[in-house]
Amino acid sequence: MPSLKIWGQDAAAAANPADALTLQPSDATAERGWFRSVDEYAGHRGLGAQVQGVTKVTPGEPIPDSLSRRSFLQLLGGGLGVAGLQGCFKPPAGHILPYGKLAANLIPGEPLHYATGVEIDGVVTPLLVTCFDGRPIKVEGNPDHPENLGSTGVFEQALLEQLYDSNRVQAVSERGQVRSDDSLRRGIQEELRKLVATQGEGLRLLVPPTSSPFLHERRARVLEKFPKAKIVEYSALGIEATAGTEAGFGQALLPRYDLTKADTVLSLDSDFLWTQPYGQRLAREFTARRTATAPHLQPGQDTWAQEQQRREYNSVPMNRLYVAEANFSITGMMADHRLRVRSSDVGNLGLAILRAVTVQRPVAGLSVPAVDPGPHANFVQAVAKDLLRSAGRSVVFVGPRQPPEVQALGHLLNLALGNLGQTVSFTQPAARHARIEVGNEGLRQLAADIDQQKVDVLLVTAQNPAFGAPADLDLARRIAAVPFSVYLADYADQTAEKARWVLPAAHPLETWGDAVAADGSHVVLQPLLAPLFDGKSEADLIGLLIAEASAPHELLYSAWHKRVAPGVPLFDDTWAGLLRKGFTIADAQPVTLPVLGNAASDALNKIAQQHATADLELGLYPSYQVHDGRYARTGQLLELPDPVTKLTWTNAALVSPKTADKLGIASNDVVELTLRGRSIQVPTIVLPGHADDTVSVALGFGQVSPLDNERWSSFLAPSAAGPNPEGKLAGANAYALRHSDAPWFTTGLKVQKTGGTRELALSQEHWTMEGRELAIEVPAALVGTTEHLAGEHSTNEPIPSFYDPVKPEGFKWAMAIDLARCTGCSACVMACQTENNIPIVGEEQVKRGREMHWLRLDRYFTGDLDDPGAITQPVACVHCENAPCEYVCPVNATVHSDEGLNEMIYNRCVGTRYCSNNCPYHVRRFNYLNYSYGNKTDVEKMAVNPEVTVRSRGVMEKCTYCVQRIERGRIGARVQGRDLRDGDIKTACQTACPTQAISFGTLSDPNSKVSQQRQDPRSYQLLKEVGTRPRTTHLVRVKNKNPELS
Amino acid sequence: MAAAIAKDHPTLDSGPLIIGQTDDVALNETLLRQVWAPPSKAWWIMFGIASMGLGLFGIALYLTLVVGVGTWGNNIPNGWAWDITNFVWWIGIGHAGTLISAILLLFQQKWRTSINRFAETMTLFSVMCAGIFPVLHMGRPWFGAYWLLPYPNTFRLWPQFRSALVWDVFAVSTYLTTSILFWYMGLVPDFAAARESAKRRWQKITYGILSLGWRGGARHWKHYQSSYMILAGLATPLVLSVHSVVSFDFAIGVIPGWHSTISAPFFVAGAVFSGFAMVLTLMLPARKYLKLESVITMRHVHAMAKIILVTSWIVTFSYVMEHFMAFYSGNRVEIESLIFKATGPYAVIYWAMLACNCVITQLLWSKKVRDNIIVLWVICVLVNVGMWTERFMIIAGGLSHDFLPSAFRIFHPSIVDVMLFVGTLSLFSFLFLLALRIIPIVPVFEVKELRHELDHEAHQSHAA
Repeated sequence: MPSLKIWGQDAAAAANPADALTLQPSDATAERGWFRSVDEYAGHRGLGAQVQGVTKVTPGEPIPDSLSRRSFLQLLGGGLGVAGLQGCFKPPAGHILPYGKLAANLIPGEPLHYATGVEIDGVVTPLLVTCFDGRPIKVEGNPDHPENLGSTGVFEQALLEQLYDSNRVQAVSERGQVRSDDSLRRGIQEELRKLVATQGEGLRLLVPPTSSPFLHERRARVLEKFPKAKIVEYSALGIEATAGTEAGFGQALLPRYDLTKADTVLSLDSDFLWTQPYGQRLAREFTARRTATAPHLQPGQDTWAQEQQRREYNSVPMNRLYVAEANFSITGMMADHRLRVRSSDVGNLGLAILRAVTVQRPVAGLSVPAVDPGPHANFVQAVAKDLLRSAGRSVVFVGPRQPPEVQALGHLLNLALGNLGQTVSFTQPAARHARIEVGNEGLRQLAADIDQQKVDVLLVTAQNPAFGAPADLDLARRIAAVPFSVYLADYADQTAEKARWVLPAAHPLETWGDAVAADGSHVVLQPLLAPLFDGKSEADLIGLLIAEASAPHELLYSAWHKRVAPGVPLFDDTWAGLLRKGFTIADAQPVTLPVLGNAASDALNKIAQQHATADLELGLYPSYQVHDGRYARTGQLLELPDPVTKLTWTNAALVSPKTADKLGIASNDVVELTLRGRSIQVPTIVLPGHADDTVSVALGFGQVSPLDNERWSSFLAPSAAGPNPEGKLAGANAYALRHSDAPWFTTGLKVQKTGGTRELALSQEHWTMEGRELAIEVPAALVGTTEHLAGEHSTNEPIPSFYDPVKPEGFKWAMAIDLARCTGCSACVMACQTENNIPIVGEEQVKRGREMHWLRLDRYFTGDLDDPGAITQPVACVHCENAPCEYVCPVNATVHSDEGLNEMIYNRCVGTRYCSNNCPYHVRRFNYLNYSYGNKTDVEKMAVNPEVTVRSRGVMEKCTYCVQRIERGRIGARVQGRDLRDGDIKTACQTACPTQAISFGTLSDPNSKVSQQRQDPRSYQLLKEVGTRPRTTHLVRVKNKNPELS
Repeated sequence: MAAAIAKDHPTLDSGPLIIGQTDDVALNETLLRQVWAPPSKAWWIMFGIASMGLGLFGIALYLTLVVGVGTWGNNIPNGWAWDITNFVWWIGIGHAGTLISAILLLFQQKWRTSINRFAETMTLFSVMCAGIFPVLHMGRPWFGAYWLLPYPNTFRLWPQFRSALVWDVFAVSTYLTTSILFWYMGLVPDFAAARESAKRRWQKITYGILSLGWRGGARHWKHYQSSYMILAGLATPLVLSVHSVVSFDFAIGVIPGWHSTISAPFFVAGAVFSGFAMVLTLMLPARKYLKLESVITMRHVHAMAKIILVTSWIVTFSYVMEHFMAFYSGNRVEIESLIFKATGPYAVIYWAMLACNCVITQLLWSKKVRDNIIVLWVICVLVNVGMWTERFMIIAGGLSHDFLPSAFRIFHPSIVDVMLFVGTLSLFSFLFLLALRIIPIVPVFEVKELRHELDHEAHQSHAA
């Protein structure tokens, strides 16, 4: 028998202490290449994968929901007996501890936290994952890592749903037929014999971008072993960060921005508050300068990260943000001045600004062609003036959607303003193997090779290329044409349909790896549990390809040994320390100053010569919900409202009111978008603030929906939306309109009404604040003066009441949410959902207004509807001291705690919904149907947080201030024999927030951050006039308008 | 004789209370005819339709209880919509019964005699229909059905007495109990009359049991009279209290349009308004088809129509005050809520409400209209529609558009909502049609008593 270590996940995982609890599921099946009957095969599968109760395995098919605790134990006992009898395979190397004797730090029921990370499109987020009894249940950012300081984005929060998703591919299959792992291994080995003979002539790997030194080394080894093989690195939304410098300076450099020192920020079609790799840090740095007051820091808790934080916040003056973009982005929502402009016209606009800047501050060796800024002359002049005023203290971003020459223009603007070395610096990108091709160019080559039948073996580990690759390359057809193709699949997706072999991909939380973070620190990615579905990683596959004897984690271990402590014989303790911390502190990265050459003028001339026609433009965007489509089967993300449109479960064609009039379409109309002969049908949303003459569509939708909404309408289904065996799609696939020469936008779009309409699942239907003072925004000049807040909000005194004020004993829990810092990124919503076991309800139920999010982001458009601004306001239960919900409950199911919490007693709730009716904030959510348990498989149920009750049908629920975390913090302090300190307790939303907009603590401590925030002149109470005395207060957003533009 | 009874009656309304029916035997014959005669074709058709509707109701009940209250159209913010609308509407209708039975009894309004059984029966069934909704609308009715009651339990958990929903439980259950007692009590002598005139043995036994051994002795009558008066005294405050308490369900809330001190009298007036309209809606056809014109005369009809007109004005006044107060308060949430009701997506319902409750009723000033049974019946139906829309506008109109625009959302009923409403209408009709066949729907003994009284009065005035 070949060595088990080829597939070595099991051994690797066992070194992780959490896995001592999870029985190794895959050994028996992975090893056994034979079976006497189908039943036996199935039985073994059931035995092997006892945790999830797999009995039948077809990719994408949900696991039968049949395994009870009792049958689990029966299988377990039987399995042990059988395991003893077999005896013909080697047990995996590594230490498996019997559960009878616990490891020192394992206490059943007590959570453990492991540092790890996840890489998405080559960008790593360092994570801290909470495990209960070996079961990861919560993902948070690694609080020590300086890039994210414990925050995450929305995608990291969805990892758990994805991990436990029964729709993941669960078995090796060849052309749809289930095969044993061994048969694939034999197939590959057979191909290998041929490949070795030809030096890998026909071998191609299609891999995702990665920052992992380990994977880079692995890929290099493939190319070493097969000198004629080729590797193509590809991801649908892959951002080539070096494209701009290549076009502008003729050398590939990685830009790095520092917003702590930036007084003026200009974004040309850049969603820099979101776009990785820097999104979270930039959002934090940017918003830190949107408030007049410095944030509170813990006395006596000077960790390294907090020191970092302190340095960031020591800036005082407020920054100003200009954004020019077509589609409303979260960065656009934060803008002080936002210019609606087609993506095709952004280059021209940038050029005009550069021209205006260089007229004042000429750059030697750079001639800027004159362009007509058209109607935007005012904007151009004002921005140029502002940028010049803050020369050396400004930043210009050009978004990755823009072509390289426009990105180059951005770098040249920074150069002309003297920002290089101040707010913008360049570093050398990590060296990539010379024979690894990148992006569309690589894909085109691969397509040509397949056409010429040069490709015999194609290993695909990239994310679903048949779906995301440019439509003109038609990769789906070409992958099918390769004689021996292997696809490492998360889901039975478009690529899995075409590939000959499909094998289950291990989830990021199931694999070993490493990565380099944006600041240069190295992050260790350790698995949290053994692969649930026998998933494999790219390293496993490469190991098989190059006949590597060691398991990936052993190789990783020795690679780190070599890198961190070369020559030191004992590495175990250091390694354990590294795993505990999760990363190494970054070395200072050498900064490169780019040299201005001819490339710059060429790039500018190229922009000047481009004249976009006045035709209708199609703009494609990465989705805020599903990224490139890899999360398009993750219900939590599909149901997460888009930060701007508040649309869930689908994408839409976004158009401005004016363009909608011109095209004769209205919201909900289904339109056919045709570009170069390909067309898709999407519903329309008329979006205020969208640029005219352009239509925006989010990419990534059009995958099989995890839920089938129509199954509910059978009336007798005892839950909301049912599973989706028919494979109905969520949204429309906008990749069909994406071409390799115009990946993001191009003119020439035709829009045609189909005559149909489609009701959209919007979580918020109303657009404006109706002139009410809800999400308050004040001009910077007025902050701190008496006139900035009017009416009830002018004082922090509560409005008078007939009743005695609540006299809390001890702690007075409270929360403050700073609107000046909130970008609307929605990480808090996702964090709340995973922490509190909040179910998803499906599209149909969202249409009926029954989404369950405890924390919602209210989005309001402000100003005039032609050219509006937008503001987001997180609203969850505000824990009123005079709570209108409490006195109307007939059964005392919602009561006030001594510490001021408005508590919900689920098992007492009978569901009259009066509390929800009487809540002026309408933050209470009702389980109209059996949302939590309906149609969940046993594996999916593993994602629940055991510290939070799962709510049944007919029960009201709402934000609890993460009461389980309060109790956990209290117990922790008591165990340590000390009082609770400010910062001991952090709510889930607070932890996730990249901009630290949320603070939580007790008002009984006048020095707590939340107390101080309440004293802030910007503090106000939402709906104060109702007299609810909310414990959650908001802080007004500050707008720093340029007087010359208003 | 009849003419003698008809004239010289010193009330505002003229016209006889009884036409013909010279003696008790004739009255017995007339008033018990519908019990003994075989059901007509029309009855069977209506009963068939009602039974089908009842089947629909069964399906809706099954869906609500098994699948969940999510089969309805309710959402956040509209936690209540058709469910509580129906509840308040049915309860309101139930008010006519007590008013006619108790208050008019205490005020010695003679014209109540022929119609009180009608009104009481209607009350009973409409309170039953009403009671279904608060139970069903709960997310977990299997707990809610008894957790709202103050029963001793080992957890020492009580309902929360600050909540108007608990008051509701008391108010409605008290009302139902009193209504049943009042209704049954009044029936006892008539059951005895039915027992006496029954032709078949099983009928004799059944009515015999139902009449509780009533023999019509003087002692019986003495006890009967005093206890009936006591019950009337007990029931009288209920007329005011039940719907006041129901109105507190809204008045104690903070929602615009709910939070109002006018609610209690406004709701009571509305209840009487819709109750009388419903009595007329049922009585006008029944009077004709059961040939009861001789005891339910146009005088009764006129009196009822006038009460409808009066209560319509009270309701109208309430609307005026509600709107005035909203604007007078300067509270923009209240003001915008009203504007939303009048101009938003519910505008049709809002204007229908005003048209039905305030405008159309003005026709009742005209004697011609009051005399025209068909027009009157249409007006009564419209009043019931109007009162339903009023409750819907208060509930969903207030919830759909309150404080945070982000939470604004319109209510759309689901098919189950419709099925439940149609179902309770059918249940009501089903029960009522059965009642017509089983109980004397006009109180036999009271009409006899009235006839004697009127005779007596007539003799006296002759003598004078």
